[in-house]
Parts: sequence; C-alpha cells; structure tokens
Amino acid sequence: MLVKDYMTRHPIMISPETPSAEAQKMMLENDVRHLPVVGDGKRILGLITRDKLRVPPSDLGSLNIWEISRILSDLKVKDMMVKGKDLETVGPNETLEFAAQAMIKNKIGCLPVTEDGIVVGIITEVDLLAELSDLLGGSVSGVRVTIRTPDKVGEYAKITTAIAEKGWGIYASGGVRSPKNPDTWDVIIKVRNAPKDELVAVLQGIEGQEIIDVREVS
Amino acid sequence: MTELKKAPPVLKLEDVAVAYKVRGGEIEAVQDVSFEINRGETHGIVGESGCGKSTVAWAVVNFLGANGYVKRGSIKFQGKELVGVTGEELRRLRGDQIAMVYQDPMQALNPSMRLGDQMSEVLTVHRGMAQKEAEQRCIEMLERVYMPDAANVMKRFPHQISGGQQQRVVIATALLNNPALLLMDEPTTALDVTVEAAVLDLIADLRREFDTAIMYITHNLGVVARVSTRVGVMYAGEMVERATVEEIYKNPRHPYTQGLIRCVPKLGADKAKSVLYPIRGRVPPPNNRPAGCVFGPRCDYVQERCREERPQLREFPNASLVRCHFAEEIVASDWTPSEDIMPPSITGKDVAAETILKVDDLKKYYKVTGSSLKDVIGLGEKRYVKAVENASFELPRGTTLGVVGESGCGKSTLIKTLIGLEDTTSGNAKFLGFDITNEIANRDLSLIQELQMVFQNPDSTMNPSYTVGQQIARPMERFKTVSKEKIREEVIKLLTAMRLGENYYNRLPRQLSGGEKQRVGIARALASHPDLVLCDEPVSALDVSVQAAILNLLLEVQQEFNTTLVFIAHDLSVVRFFSDQVAVMYLGQIMEIGPADAIYAPPYHPYSEALLSAVPIPDPTAKQKHIRLEGNVPSAINPPSGCRFHTRCPRRELLPDGGKICSQESPPWREADDGHRIFCHLPLETLRTFDPVITQLTEGS
Repeated sequence: MLVKDYMTRHPIMISPETPSAEAQKMMLENDVRHLPVVGDGKRILGLITRDKLRVPPSDLGSLNIWEISRILSDLKVKDMMVKGKDLETVGPNETLEFAAQAMIKNKIGCLPVTEDGIVVGIITEVDLLAELSDLLGGSVSGVRVTIRTPDKVGEYAKITTAIAEKGWGIYASGGVRSPKNPDTWDVIIKVRNAPKDELVAVLQGIEGQEIIDVREVS
Repeated sequence: MTELKKAPPVLKLEDVAVAYKVRGGEIEAVQDVSFEINRGETHGIVGESGCGKSTVAWAVVNFLGANGYVKRGSIKFQGKELVGVTGEELRRLRGDQIAMVYQDPMQALNPSMRLGDQMSEVLTVHRGMAQKEAEQRCIEMLERVYMPDAANVMKRFPHQISGGQQQRVVIATALLNNPALLLMDEPTTALDVTVEAAVLDLIADLRREFDTAIMYITHNLGVVARVSTRVGVMYAGEMVERATVEEIYKNPRHPYTQGLIRCVPKLGADKAKSVLYPIRGRVPPPNNRPAGCVFGPRCDYVQERCREERPQLREFPNASLVRCHFAEEIVASDWTPSEDIMPPSITGKDVAAETILKVDDLKKYYKVTGSSLKDVIGLGEKRYVKAVENASFELPRGTTLGVVGESGCGKSTLIKTLIGLEDTTSGNAKFLGFDITNEIANRDLSLIQELQMVFQNPDSTMNPSYTVGQQIARPMERFKTVSKEKIREEVIKLLTAMRLGENYYNRLPRQLSGGEKQRVGIARALASHPDLVLCDEPVSALDVSVQAAILNLLLEVQQEFNTTLVFIAHDLSVVRFFSDQVAVMYLGQIMEIGPADAIYAPPYHPYSEALLSAVPIPDPTAKQKHIRLEGNVPSAINPPSGCRFHTRCPRRELLPDGGKICSQESPPWREADDGHRIFCHLPLETLRTFDPVITQLTEGS
C-alpha cells in the first residue's frame, strides 16, 4: 500500500512556456484536473490545476475586451502554476496515509510523485478513494459487518478466530476508533461465501462485542 | 482492484496518412491509420513487409527522413499533437517520454563506446545527473532486465556481449528515462527462439511494472499472440483489422487476416495431415495500389463492389474493427483454396527406401590461431572450434531431415561439410555409396551434380548481372544433363514448375521480389536433377505468405522428383511441418534425432524441451510450459566437459548428486523406439515422464 502502487504513472505533463489557454484546452480534452509542469528531463517545476486557471471575473472588471484578450493570450503556464514552497510532492515509496495526510493538511486534491525531483507519477484524491474502496472490498460481493468492540487487546483476534473456525475467509477488513465514542473500536469486515444469518449468529456469540451494522453487498 | 475511470490514451493516431516526396510526385505509404494505446497496454502491429508498419512508428517520432511527412491526420501523445513538432521540443520528447527499440541491437549501440558510457549518457544529458549516480542507475536497470553480471557488462564494448544481451542493453537504455511510450520494431526478429522467449518475458514484466504503453511491430504471428493485448493488422499502408488478440486468432474477420493465419504452420502440424495455404499475389507497391479495396486483387471473396468502392473501417459487435465490405458474410471455416494455390497432396512414402546418405561420426574442427608469439611461430597449444562433433545419421531417399538449434550450434557447418564447401576433420559420410568427406574441388563432377544447395539469402548467391534464365541454365550446361538445344526449353519448364512463367527468363535478379528470387534459387538447385538438396534456412528471410508458397513448392518438388532434402531452419513449427526426421543440435552435437512427431512429444531431450517451450505459438489460448535456459551458449572452442548441455540443463537435478555425471562423462545414446535417439544421461523412463510442452492447442481452424 505505497504511493507507487496507486499512483498514475506517466501523467500528462506540460512545459512552463506553454500558453495558459493551451493548458486549459489540454485539461479539458483529456479530462484531467492537474498537470505537473516540467522542464528538461521531466524535472518538476510546478503544478497547474483547473482551480489555478480560474480567473475571477472581478479581476477583469476594469479592463476592456481588447485588454482582456491581450492579457489572456500573454499568460503562460509558469505565471499561473503552483510553485516554490507552495508545491507539495510525495515520493513513490511513501505510504498512502502519508500522502493523504499531506493532502488533508494543505487541503489539496493532488500530489505529483517525484523521485530526485523527476516526476514519476501523480496521485490524486480519486486514487486514495480507490484505495479506501479496495481496502473495504468495495468491488466484490459478500457480507459486510460492522462490529463495535471494547478498546482492548485481543478483540480483533476473537473475530478472526471465530470466522476461521467456520472455514470462511475475510476478504477485507478495517478498524477505526468509533466516531464520537473514543472508548470503543468499530471493526468492519467483509466475508465472502458465508451465509449472512450463520455469520451473524457466530459473531453474536462473541462476548462483549456488538454488531452495529450487517448488510449483504453484491 | 477498483478500476478507475479510463484514462486518456497515451498515444492516439487519427486518420494518419504518411507521404514520401519522390521524383514525379508523392507516394502515400500509409493511409488512414487510426488506433490508440493505453497505459500498460501492448498494441501489436502485424503485416507482411512493405505494408507500412515501420512507417507508422517513424511517423510518431517524426523520423521519416527528409522527404517524408505526415500528410493528413493527427498523432496525439499524452494529449499533445505530435505532427509538426520539431527541434528542441521533439528532442525532449524523444529523450524523456518516447523510447525506441529496433530490430538490430548492433545498429542502436555505438561500437566504439563502452556500454556503461553510452547508457549513462542518457541520464547525464537528459536529466543532468552526475556521472557516478547515472552509472549506479544503469547497473540497477541492467539488473532489472536480468543481465547477468551487470556491473561488468558496463565496462564492455558491444561486440563483447551476445546478441540477446545487446538487445537487453538497448531495452534497458530505452527504459532508463521511464518513458510513457515504447516503440518496438521487430525487437526479437534477429534473435534465437530461446533468447527471444526471454526477451518477450522481459517485455511483459516491464510493461506491468512500469505501466509503459508499447507499440510492438512484428511480422511473426506467434510473437504477437504472446505479447499483445490488442492487434492491428496492416496491409498495403492501411489498417485492415483491429481487435483484441484473442479475437484476431479465434475469429479473424478480414480475408487478409484469415489468409495470414492459414499461412503459418501450427506447432504440431505435419505435412501429411495439414496444409499451408499461401495468399496468392503479393503486396502492391505504394505507387500502384488498386482502386477500391487494396486487398481486392488477392482476395478470394472479391466482388464488383470491392473494385469500385474503398471499404471503411467498420465496427463489429465484439469491438473489433474491420475494413471489408462483406466481413459479415465471410465465414473462415467455409473457405476453400482456389486452384492456383492448391497445395500438393502428399502421398505415403515407400518405407523401405534405400539409404541415400549415411553419416557416421562426422567431425568438423576449425583451427584457431592465437595471437601470442608462441602461436605465431607454431609452438603454442593448438586449439580448435569443435563445430560439428560426432554427427551420425542415415537418410532414406525421398525423405526430409530437419535440423534445428540455436545459432552457432553447427547446423550450417554440418551441411557445408556435406556439400564439400568445407573438408571433414574425421568420420565418414557416404552418399549413394560414394565418399563425400573431401572438398568440393576434389569431387567428381557427377557427384557435385547430385548434391545441390539452396541458400538462406538468395540475393547474395545470385549474380546480379546474369538473367534468371542464364543462372538456371548454367548447371545444365556445366553438367551436360540436357543437350544444348533443349536447355532453354528445360529452363522454362523449371520456371513453370516454380510458378514463375516464361516471361521471367530474361529478368535480372533485381527485378524480382524476395520470394521470387528464392524460387529461382530453388530452380537452380534442381536444374541438375540432384538426388539430395541441402537447404540452409531457405524461408527464414521471407514473409509468411511467401514462406507458405515456398514450402509447398519444395514439397511438390520432392513429390515429383523424389528428392531427398536436408532442411535447416530455426522455426520449429516449420521444421515440424516439413520434415520426416528431425535432428536437434546443440554446440555441434546432435542431442536428439528421430521421426518428427517423436521429437515434439515426450520423451524429450531436456534441450529440445526447452526449445519447444520457447517457440512463440500463433494461438493466444495455447498453454506452454515455461522453461527458460540460463546463461549463454558456451564457446565452441572450449565446450563444457561431459554433456555439452550440462551447464544450462534444467533437468540435471533429476540425476543423483545433482547431475555430477553430466559434467564428467559424455552421455550415452538412449534408443527410444522407431529410430528415435536421445543423447542424455537421464534414462528413457525419466524422460518419458515429462509432461508435453504444449497443451490446449486448438485443433483445425
């Protein structure tokens, strides 16, 4: 679960001297929202996003139509890109949660992935959502159960043992501290090839734990 | 894993036409080609030579030469238009984002620079990396492409490593900058099957790991089946069919694709049970393409509409695209060959035929002179390249012996010795009872007449200033097989038998296509009515459709004149199809010999097994065992002791002590039934337990 497993390799890139209008067109045509700006040898110089290209109408209020068109045609990618210390990047061997933290902290939707300053890929919020979905087995059918357990060592083992004894397999699992209830943990598991009722019966037999949500997902 | 919304394609060609400016106008070499390649996808492009495959690749990198240009259409790479890009931007694209691997690695490498220097140049120039760091990266990349002893290879010059390794260096160099698109133009065509298999595995690995989009050009349908996810078939500058690889082989829709697939012998097919159907005619030159459908003149289903209206690429329900007016109506299985390409029927052989060639313990050593002073004055230790060692076999009249093996295994030396281009070091070879161990200069004329040869490259064996007629007449005059007045008549008879016709009599070699030249070569070999014809890779340089025609022709000749053939080829499917007996050679030693069907089924010699598992099969559903030989073919000057194959043998471990005996003693001949002999320490019972290499070959079609 590292950045390199979930990033998009060979992203579409753009050079700093390209007119901004061209960058806007490229994003639109290729249906992407971010373009790393690179120089020779794919060295990262900045990042251009759809947001960055949005020119607020108030800025243009005092200009006449000729001035607008002249200013727009002179605008280059390097004038509008995120650069310098504002530019956040991540290495391909970092963990996904590290990338997520960086994106949350800066409230940004994408990180260029670089190795020694060379762009090797790009990771966006969509990639992280893909990871989340995979983590919880979003693409397979099965029974999804949320169990609330006390915040104690050995509780998770109880669940896995009970399921393993039945010969079923846990396809995906995740655990978080219960929202708004820091004394308990919510464990989410996805079990394949197990009848729902039997599974619930087995899990209800575990002492101290409580099933708070069961659903069959196809 | 969650499938993300489809990303835009890495490369997208739309209605691309490429033209070359020539004297008196323009030639459109490529017309209306459209396709796209996504990340991590290999898009194969197949077709005969002269169909514009390479031109498409060159157009992508704007490498068309001074007179070529993209006339229409757009080529988009990562959303950027490439048509018209020049200068600095093009240089940057070629270096950073697009890489190329061509057929001949020796032409891509600078012979006067150490490999390390030329590899690290990519990084120091394009990325401005420091020399030390760049070298470290190069070593890592060489290890990635499974190069043994990578650090040392960096210090060598290109000629000091083998062809397969050279190609690996080229691939490693291409990948150094982590390109988004890799253009590969026949990257394995010049390599042996075993090396080819390793390189193809490598390409598949790298595609997965680096998510590189690959455009893979080849004429070999087996290779395409192994590496591609989608395939485009090109004919005469147009893309005539495009579909997923499974669809192309299972359900080819365009008559040209169907024809191509019928041309290739399936591994396991032999001449008695199956036939090859060549496509009649040849690819039209770009300045003389027919109106309407370009394939019309060679198509069996051609109708009035095809001659008048150019078909468009139409989409079919299974997402394949076909450029044919009648693709829905054409059913490949109902196809019957037309009169002019009807292959010869094979009648059963007379089993008790006399032995025409008997070779016993034949050896051919080449003396190697060292460069030290001792060697020069003749005191140095004498060293020999043992090119052929202890070859023994018998060949009944009217049969074919196929000889297979990697390059450098002594196939060609064996037949050169037989024909007398080289003398024999020791051993016996008897042809119709006459001794043929001496050189050709000392042979009787009548003996020379009975032994003729067909060469691999007809270009270099034909006198360019003699007409076809003169060249074929020459052996007749020399051997006086035909009276002078009748020579012309006889030559024309031969030409007709080769399906060339009288009007070829006065042509010069340069006026012939490759296939036609090879026909003339065969006609010349047959002119003296020889009893034994030695063929050295006669079809390797030819396109599949021509190859099928030549093979059929040879079969026909053999039927008619009861000629005996020795047939060298590196293509195991062709050998299997064509031969009655097969000999597998390794480092000058025949490792296994026997009836063709026995070689291709257990018991195998471990080397034959490895060779078979490396053959690319033109059927993506076929399951093949995965055996890859380690290392390179050892030097023939100093071959390994004991069994010559022991250094690379994957089956050695089956013997006690990890196969200690293999490195110490020369193995015995194990006699399986029916003249099938295997040169191996492993007992036959063990060899029999090997599973067949290829399973799930779809029958027929």
